[in-house]
Parts: sequence; C-alpha cells; structure tokens
Amino acid sequence: MASFAGVALVLLAVLVVRLWFLQVVSNQGYQQRAEANRLRTVITEAPRGAITDRNGKALVTSKEVLNLVALPQELTSDAGTRTLRHLSRALGHPAGYFQAKVAKAQKVSPFEPVVLQQDAPPALQAYVQERQAQLPGIELQAAYQREYPNGTLGAHILGYTGPIPVESITTYREQGYLGDETVGRAGVEGEYERYLRGIAGRQQVEVNAQGDIVGRGVISQTAPRPGETLRLSIDLDVQKALEKALKAQVVSSGTSTGAAGVALDPKTGAVLAMASYPTYQPDVFESGTPREVRRVLTSPGRPLLNRSIGGEYPAASTFKAITASAALAAGLYRPGELIEAPGSVVLYKTRFRGFNNEAFGPIALPKALEVSSDTFFYALGDRSYRMRGWPLQEWSQKYGFGSPTGLDLAEGESAGLVPDLAYKRQSCNRKVDPINCSWRPGDSINMSIGQGNVLVTPLQMATAYAAIANGGKVITPTLGNAVVDTDGRVLRDLISARASRALGLSASNLDVIKQGLLLAANGNEGTATPVFGNLPPAFKVAGKTGTAENPSKIDHAWYVGYAPADDPEIVVAVVVERGGQGANSAAPAVCETMAADLKFDSSRCGTAAKTN
Amino acid sequence: MSTLGRTGESFEARARARTAGMDWVLLGLTLAVSFFGIYMVRAATESDVSGDPGFFFTRQLAYTLVGLVCMFFILRLDLERLSRYVWTIYAILVASVGAVLVLGASARGSTRWIDLGPVRVQPSELGKVVIAFVIAVVVMERLKAMDPARLTLMVLALALLPAIIVFLQPDLGTSLVYAAIALAILWVAGQPITHFAAIGAVLLVGVALVLYLLPAVGLNVLQPYQVDRLTSFVDSGSDRSQAGYQLEQSKVAIGSGGALGKGPSGATQTINDFLPEHHTDFIFAVVAEMFGFMGGGLLIAAYFILVWRAIVIMRLAATELERLVAAGIAAMMAFEVFVNIGMNVGIMPITGIPLPFMSYGGSHTLTNLVAVGVLLRIGMRGRAAQAGAA
Repeated sequence: MASFAGVALVLLAVLVVRLWFLQVVSNQGYQQRAEANRLRTVITEAPRGAITDRNGKALVTSKEVLNLVALPQELTSDAGTRTLRHLSRALGHPAGYFQAKVAKAQKVSPFEPVVLQQDAPPALQAYVQERQAQLPGIELQAAYQREYPNGTLGAHILGYTGPIPVESITTYREQGYLGDETVGRAGVEGEYERYLRGIAGRQQVEVNAQGDIVGRGVISQTAPRPGETLRLSIDLDVQKALEKALKAQVVSSGTSTGAAGVALDPKTGAVLAMASYPTYQPDVFESGTPREVRRVLTSPGRPLLNRSIGGEYPAASTFKAITASAALAAGLYRPGELIEAPGSVVLYKTRFRGFNNEAFGPIALPKALEVSSDTFFYALGDRSYRMRGWPLQEWSQKYGFGSPTGLDLAEGESAGLVPDLAYKRQSCNRKVDPINCSWRPGDSINMSIGQGNVLVTPLQMATAYAAIANGGKVITPTLGNAVVDTDGRVLRDLISARASRALGLSASNLDVIKQGLLLAANGNEGTATPVFGNLPPAFKVAGKTGTAENPSKIDHAWYVGYAPADDPEIVVAVVVERGGQGANSAAPAVCETMAADLKFDSSRCGTAAKTN
Repeated sequence: MSTLGRTGESFEARARARTAGMDWVLLGLTLAVSFFGIYMVRAATESDVSGDPGFFFTRQLAYTLVGLVCMFFILRLDLERLSRYVWTIYAILVASVGAVLVLGASARGSTRWIDLGPVRVQPSELGKVVIAFVIAVVVMERLKAMDPARLTLMVLALALLPAIIVFLQPDLGTSLVYAAIALAILWVAGQPITHFAAIGAVLLVGVALVLYLLPAVGLNVLQPYQVDRLTSFVDSGSDRSQAGYQLEQSKVAIGSGGALGKGPSGATQTINDFLPEHHTDFIFAVVAEMFGFMGGGLLIAAYFILVWRAIVIMRLAATELERLVAAGIAAMMAFEVFVNIGMNVGIMPITGIPLPFMSYGGSHTLTNLVAVGVLLRIGMRGRAAQAGAA
C-alpha cells in the first residue's frame, strides 16, 4: 500500500523537476521563442531617392504604383491553376503565361509574392477589385517603381534597378538588406546605391497562430525613410544635345555602328554629358516585355555597352597632342623648329605614308597640328625611339591613358592600352615573327600618330584634353555632384574630394600645343575649320580631329576639343564608329554639344570637317 | 433551548449522520481543482469562439454541476449489491464502446462519441470506472478459488476486450488507462510478482513490434499520427509533424511562463492560439504559462494529495471489493495525471489522455466526479465499519 503512494510521489516529483527545468532553468530561451511566435515585423517599402541633373531637373523619380501580384502559397491547388489561367486569358496573354511566371519565380524564392504585372492600369485595378472573391491568391500590392521622365536619356549614366541577384544576396544581407528589395544594378543607380536606397519602415505587430493581427496590435514602429536625392554633374540640356547629335551622325552616316561622347568641365572634372549610342530604355528590365529584354541583351549594336567609358578605340590623330607634349618635354623638339613634312617618308628602309600623301613643306609644330601632318609626327616618333627612355609611353600615362580614369562609375570602365615593350613581348607570336617581340622603330613611329596599338576611351580622351585646357591638371572626372535632401540641402559634396594631379608640362610648352589646336579648328588649313571656323569670336574652339584606322576598313571619326579657347569651360570628345568616310562626322557633334552648353546658335556649326 | 435550536440540532444530527466518515480533504480538493479547471477553461478559450467568449466556460460549468449531482447520488450506491449484475454491466460496457465504432460521431479523425440528441456521450470515459468495478468484482470472487495465473489471464482478457475496441476508435490513451486499472487491481490483490514481470516483457516486445518491427515489414498497427505522437517526445525539435508542433508549442508555453507566469492576459501562446488543444489535453501547459512554476507546482501537489487520499481510502475500505475498486480508481487518477502532465512537459508520449478535473469535456468530467463519488462512498463505509468494530 505504502509502495503505491511512494510510486505516485516519485512520479509526480519527476514532473515537478521537469517543470523546474523548463520554467526556471530554460525560461529565457522559451520566452524568446514565445516572443518570436507572437511578434511579426511588417516591412513598409521606402521610396528610392530621385536622381537629378546639376540644376535639379529630374532624371529619375520614384512613383507609387499598384502591382498585380500572385501569392504562391494560396495558388498551389488546381483551383489556383485555374485562377491563373483565367487571369492570363482575361488580360490577353496565352493561358499558361502567368503560371509559368509564378513557377519561375518560385524556383528562386518560393514564398515571395510574384509580380504578374507592374503598375496595373486603372482598368485592371478595377477588374481585380470587383472580382476579389473569384481570384483568391491574387492581390494588388503597392510598390515604388522607377520613372524616367526623359525616356532613354542618360541611360548609360543612370543604369537601372532590379532585384538583388541571387549570387550576391549574402553580400547585400551583410549590409542590412532583407533580400527582396529592388536595388541599383548598374550606372549611378548602382554606384550611389547607399544614398539612393531608402530605409524600409518596420512595424512590430502582435499576431495569432493564423497570422491575424490581434491584441495590442502595433507594438513599435519606425516610419520608412525615403532615399536621398542624388544630384549629378550632368547638364540636362548638354546631355540632350550630345545624344541628339550622336544619333544624327550615326543615322546619317549609313555605315556607323555606334557613337559615344563625353563633355567635361575642364576646371572641375564634372561630367556635363556622357552618351553612348545605341542606347536602351532603363526600365526595360523592370517592366519590359521578354522580347524587349531579349533585344537589349542580344542586339549586335550592344546597346547596354557604355561606349564612352567601355569602348576602346585607336586614338589616331587626336594623339598628336600627346606626342607633341612628349617631344617638347623631352627636348626632342624646340618651339619654332621647322621640320620637313613630305607626303611620305622612308625610315629604317620602310616607307611611312602621310594621310593622302599630302606634303606640307617645312613646318613648325602648331602648323603640323593645324594640318594634322603625319610625316611631321613620324619624325618626332623617330626621335623618341632613338633617345633613351620611353617618352611616348610616359606622357601617355601622365595624360591618364592606359588605366581607368577613376570615374564614379567603376563598373564598365576600360583601361585602354598604351603599348610598350612588355605589351609587345606578351602579344607577339614568337614562332612566326620573333622580331616583333621587341619594340621596333615602326612602333614608335606608328604610335606618334595614335595608331599602332594605342587604344583609348572617349572619357580618357576628354580627360587628357581637359588637362591641356585647364593649364596642366589631370582631374578625375565625376558624375556625382552632391547628395541632397528633399529640400535641396547638400548632405554630402561628391565633387570637391575628387583627386587631381599636375601634368608637369611647362606653360610655354602647353601654349605651343594650344596654339596648334586653335589653328586646327580656325586656321586657313585647319582640319576642323569647316565646322568651327564660323563660330562667334567669344566661342572659339581649339581641338583635334582623328581618323582611326581599324579592322572594319571604314575609319572611326574622332574629335576632341575645348571652348572658349582662351578660357575653356567645356571639353567634348566624340567618336563615331565607322563614321569617317570622306569627312569627319565627329566634329559637328562636338560643336552642337558645345553650343548647348555655351548657349550659342548651333546653326553656326559646319557640317563636316576634313578627315585626319 | 429554543425550538429553533432544537430543530437546528436535529438538522445538524441528520447532516452529521449523512456525512459520517466523509473525506473532507478529498471532497474539498476535488471541488477546488474542478472550479479552478472551469476558470482555466474560460481563460484559455475567451478568444476561441468569436462572439461567445463563454462558449466553453458555460458548458464546462454545466458538466461539472451535472457531475457533482451524480457524485451526490453515488454516495448512496451499494457496490456489493451492484456486483450481482457484474456481467450485465460488463456487457453494456462492451456493447456501448462497440456501438461507438458502428454508429458513433467523429471528431478529428477519431470516433469516440455517441450522439444522444442534444448531448454526445463518450462511453469509453465512463467505462474507466466501470472496468475498475468489473475487474474488482471478478478478482474478489475468484481470488481464492482460481489458479492465480488463470485469474491474471482472465482479468487481462476482460480488460483488453473493451480496451481493444476503444483502441480501434482510435483512442490509444483511454485503452491504456483500462490496462493501467486492471494491472493496479491485480497488484493490490496480491498476484505474484512474476506475473507482472511476464506482462512487462510481453509489453516491451509488443511496443517493439508495433513501433519498429511490423512497420519494417509493411504492417502498420498504429495510425501514422499515433506513431508521431508516441515518438515525438524523444526529439520534438526534429519532428515536423503535427504532434511535434504540438509538443514544441506546449514546451514554449510552459517554458515561457517562468517562475510566476505571464498572467491570464499575457499568455500569448494560449490566447493567440499557438498552442492547440489548450482547453483539453494541454490545459496544464496553459496553467504553467499563466501561473508559472508556482501554479504548475501547486497543481501537481494538489494531484498528489488527491491520489494520497484515494490510497488512504483504499486502506480504510470495509470490504475486499471496495478496496480493489478504490485501488483501480487511485491508479486511474495517478496514471492520467502523470501521463497527461508528462506529455505536456515532453517526457511522455502524446496519447490523448485528459487531465482529471481540469480538461474540458463532458464525459470525462462526469467520469472523474463519479469516480470521486465512489471513493467517498467507500471511505464513508470504511470509517463507519471501523467505528463499529471499535
């Protein structure tokens, strides 16, 4: 009998001990889990910051839209399949259209709502609201969407936004993202993501097991904080002019595959305009049809490529200013010296031809730049070959060629190429042509007129000429101007901290080159005089044409110049791929861009410069 | 003395005669736990039925009152006289649990009730007291006349027939209670220890067969959910089944209650519905969440006292039959309390056994109050016999 009571006592004591363990020893852990059950965080999306030009004109804004979304968990049954098929047909798609969309999205994140259609138009909103009962698992959800008031304008600068790519989701999570945000994926949208992103609002609510909000409801909340506004150094009018001019040149040439241009403020390095043609609609990935997306991705014109920073072109005659700098600085040429400039010249038993075999007689450096004499510069190239050291390479690098400029658009910027002995050794074919594995006289001679293997981007070219224009300062170009709040107060200056370095060319040497560049645009025999010769005196342009030979047989047309010549406010470099047949098509685009910035009448610009 | 006084005296005398030998501790504690149970049912279910926060409360209150009335009548029940109809009673038990299988009402995949118009009765619940009585009678009558081994086998057979029918409903928990009652009566009757050793061995083999060996060859005796319930307490964290969820939420409810509890309005596991079955099998977890280790510990102590009083009454019993019946009821209560609280705290398998006097449910509440009535009656008779002998 007593054993009966004893057994009962032991068993109940076991229960008490266990209860002690759960409630007193492990209390904290269970308390946290009870809180985790009870509390749910509701996220409110914050709008992304706007992007404006230097004067505050909108380039990208965020607008609130209603998206048509499907909740995958509620659509797993046959009824869900029917709902999706019904909706697909009702909206004029093939029957399986939405179902395929849901299935695809579920592979990535199975529980996230799937956006069936962004920015549902009012008619669709009404359709869904009226049939809410017949469309379980289909909802209209508020969201923010990027809006581009100027269409494709500045697409390569702005970039685009999109969902966080699966492969980099952990990196984003470390920076406080949840993983389902829309983030900047390219252009300044990506570069300045940390300012543009808003901070999502969080609301902590009490829920029951069914997920309904109950009891005390909202327990704590922080309001969503919109992203800051990014003010770019871009000038909307200049950008428009540049894009219009590039497109016009490509379209009218009939042979051109694309064009690119950059306009800089030589005093600050601010990018006033930057364009690449062909271009694309920045929101194509957000709201484009599959066909539109495919066209952007696979078009032979490569519209996604930002040619102004990622396109590498032979520098051609625009490089003569660099050769001149090297020769002057190294003492290979003294100002005033006359050099014979025949139609062609034989050096090292090889005939090097001038452009069109034109002979100019004995001329000085400024005249050589004015007429773009090749044989004059061959002589300088030969002199540089014969001296110790590598003045051409050294001065190319001083001007910033051969490495990215450091523009605040790191992704997609090419280094270009300044050929040297190391390059030759690495790129030659030792078996077929072992002699080519050394630096030969012809290499220096070709390089002196920017051919051979010299490859540059339009941005590098603009930066180099900006250094000439501003009296010898190589400034890192910048797209960002400032981060401002909604009232326009500057929160962060993005321009003053940009690095710059001295070119190291004396003022007198620089003047010789400037004189040549002024003549090239205004002199009687200037290659670009047909385009710039007729401008008002206050807007004299100085610059250089270029005709780049390339494997396609049709030359690329270059022009780079600055204005006003005596106190430059703008440098523009333009390259028109395969645009150089018979006349230079880049110079008119430069002229029109300058006209937009300096506010002169663009009809004073000529239509075609001479080639070379 | 005034007239009034005299009448008072005679009333007092009558009352004293009626309640002579009453176990006030058992009665008081039963009432206290029962009304605490009603309060807990209300606290746990206030937000369960929208528009009617008292839905479960009013019903449980009614069940308890009906149970108390039954208990009052049981106080006059003569077990010895009733033992003449033992086979009829047994037949009714088997027939009624069998009837459930054939024409019963279902809830959550099991069929345990018979619909009697406005009320549903669960015969297997009342069967617990009946089986205690039947087995006590059989053992008492044959203890000296029959071979002990044959008697044990006969008792087991008698208990297992209804137990198996109940098991098929399926209601594993109640069938286990039947077995526990039968074994306790055999033990108290003094059957040789070797019998229990043998039964234990068979049980072990049986569990191994049912849980592991037979499923391995493709024969499933238990429903999958029953296997989940039986095994989930071993490692509830890894168990994604409903039973695993149930147990996890029960542990979170209890653990988060802490030493003093979160109070009736702060017990979010219960009132926000994370803990299923919070008014039936898992009401202990609700007590522990709302009133902490203090409340849970006190409740366990109360159950210990209840079981202890049952054992005291068993020792007082005037006849062998009453002693065995008391033993069966004591075992029933102890078994139910231990298994129910054990599964709430995660040290026993989930077998669907309600907590006496606490869990919501008509038949179950009625049965436990009837059982207490039987105990009180036995105690009164025992004390009267002792007084007579002295």
